[in-house]
Amino acid sequence: MSTLTLTDVTVSRGAGPVIRDVSLTVESGTITALVGPNGAGKTSLLEAISGVVEASSGTIAVDGEPLGKLSRVRRSRRGIVHIEQGRAVFPSLTVVENVRLASGTAARAEEAIALFPELEKRRDSAAGLLSGGEQQMVVLARAFAAEPKFLLIDEMSLGLAPVVFTRLLPMVQRFAENGVGVLLVEQFTNLALSVAGQALVFSSGRVTFQGSAAELAASPELLHTAYLGGAASA
Amino acid sequence: MLQGALSGLAAGGVYAIIAVCLTLMSRLVRVVNFSQAATGMFGSYVAVWMVSHAGLPIWLATIAGILVGGLLSGIIGWIIATWLSEADTTTRSAVTVGPLLLLISLSFILFGNKPQPFQPLLAGPAFTVSGVVISQVTVAMVLLAIVVAVVSKVVLSRTTVGTQLRALSERPTTAELIGIPAKPLGVAVWAITGIISTIVIVIVAPSQSNDAIALSMLIVPAAAAALLGAFRRLDLAVIGGLVLGVIQGFVAQIDQVSFVRYFLPFLFIVGLLLWNQRKAVWDAAR
Repeated sequence: MSTLTLTDVTVSRGAGPVIRDVSLTVESGTITALVGPNGAGKTSLLEAISGVVEASSGTIAVDGEPLGKLSRVRRSRRGIVHIEQGRAVFPSLTVVENVRLASGTAARAEEAIALFPELEKRRDSAAGLLSGGEQQMVVLARAFAAEPKFLLIDEMSLGLAPVVFTRLLPMVQRFAENGVGVLLVEQFTNLALSVAGQALVFSSGRVTFQGSAAELAASPELLHTAYLGGAASA
Repeated sequence: MLQGALSGLAAGGVYAIIAVCLTLMSRLVRVVNFSQAATGMFGSYVAVWMVSHAGLPIWLATIAGILVGGLLSGIIGWIIATWLSEADTTTRSAVTVGPLLLLISLSFILFGNKPQPFQPLLAGPAFTVSGVVISQVTVAMVLLAIVVAVVSKVVLSRTTVGTQLRALSERPTTAELIGIPAKPLGVAVWAITGIISTIVIVIVAPSQSNDAIALSMLIVPAAAAALLGAFRRLDLAVIGGLVLGVIQGFVAQIDQVSFVRYFLPFLFIVGLLLWNQRKAVWDAAR
């Protein structure tokens, strides 16, 4: 059992803080949904965890060991895999090359590709030539090949039709079933809450709700209040 | 005429090799490295100094000079990877003008402003074709250009490190997020291209103008050759270098226009830029 713990994390960009004093615990085998309006600071939080940006204060720790100023590369070796917004494939590399980059062994890469029958057929195609949904499959396969402890997924649905995204969600659940702690930032709030156990609502850089995803999904008023920045308690 | 054109092949080979280095740098570490030839010049000057002042055997001094060239290039790469990792290509490229000027100035201070007494590593004819003598330097340069391009191509397409470098060139942040060590790989590319540039200049310097500025400014024809491949294609960079060298050699044989050879790389660059922009102009006009 691994734990990703954030304690009073603040991230500043440009003029001032974009997220303030966020505390959160993600355990392996669970899905935590981060929802909220655009610009609320969800992406910045994921970037602070993976090391794309530096937290200006607070502590981010894996299994109680602070990550401090560890580089992105070292964080990834600690088991933190970050799927960025958009289509984070390497466009000129083939599907196989994309997946093998993150894999310790060729067998693991093959196992990852086999999860998506669509990719099997196009394994030697340049990833940049695939459809948006297929590109996200490549990104998920690459994440699977990396054998993460914690998976940070940022707006995987961006630019995808809901029906396509719905097909990808079971894979996110599979990560959790395999013991991976998933932090899911998603614009399709209901879909995200439907697979998550824990939920946080962000508004203007602050957490306005933290509690059960099922409870938030069942209470549109609670969600509405939290989106607008009012403190809502579970 | 033919002798002149073929004698230009040696210079063409040099342009081609440095163009391959420039193309690799542009593709893999997002830099048009204006100090590419200057690091080679400085490394080769160090080699000459070690022979003439420290009394080292030429082979040992040459190896030391080549390592200095690679180290210098690696240091420049480390500085850029540390402080300009997120900067765009234009900024990163502009920064390399600094080391270019610094190395030229430093060579004046340390070694004086006169051409250096290089001892040739290769000299004499390699073979004769229809009465035209092909020098050893020409053969070495052309072969080296082809070998460097082919090896680079194979490494990039067939090896894990090559795939990592291609990934890094396309999405540096994503590459780091999946554990690809961007900084060491980037610095290695800088160091290796620095070593290759120094090897080339050490070989060719005894047979041409070898003052610091002339050697450092080999970057101009090399950039013209790399531009033919849009700083992406290694094969066109080699072809561009060789063709430019042959044309220069040919023009040098015609007294009335021989001075044009000095401007040829610039004409080449302007012509290619205009050609590459033809579509943009058409689109704008529409």
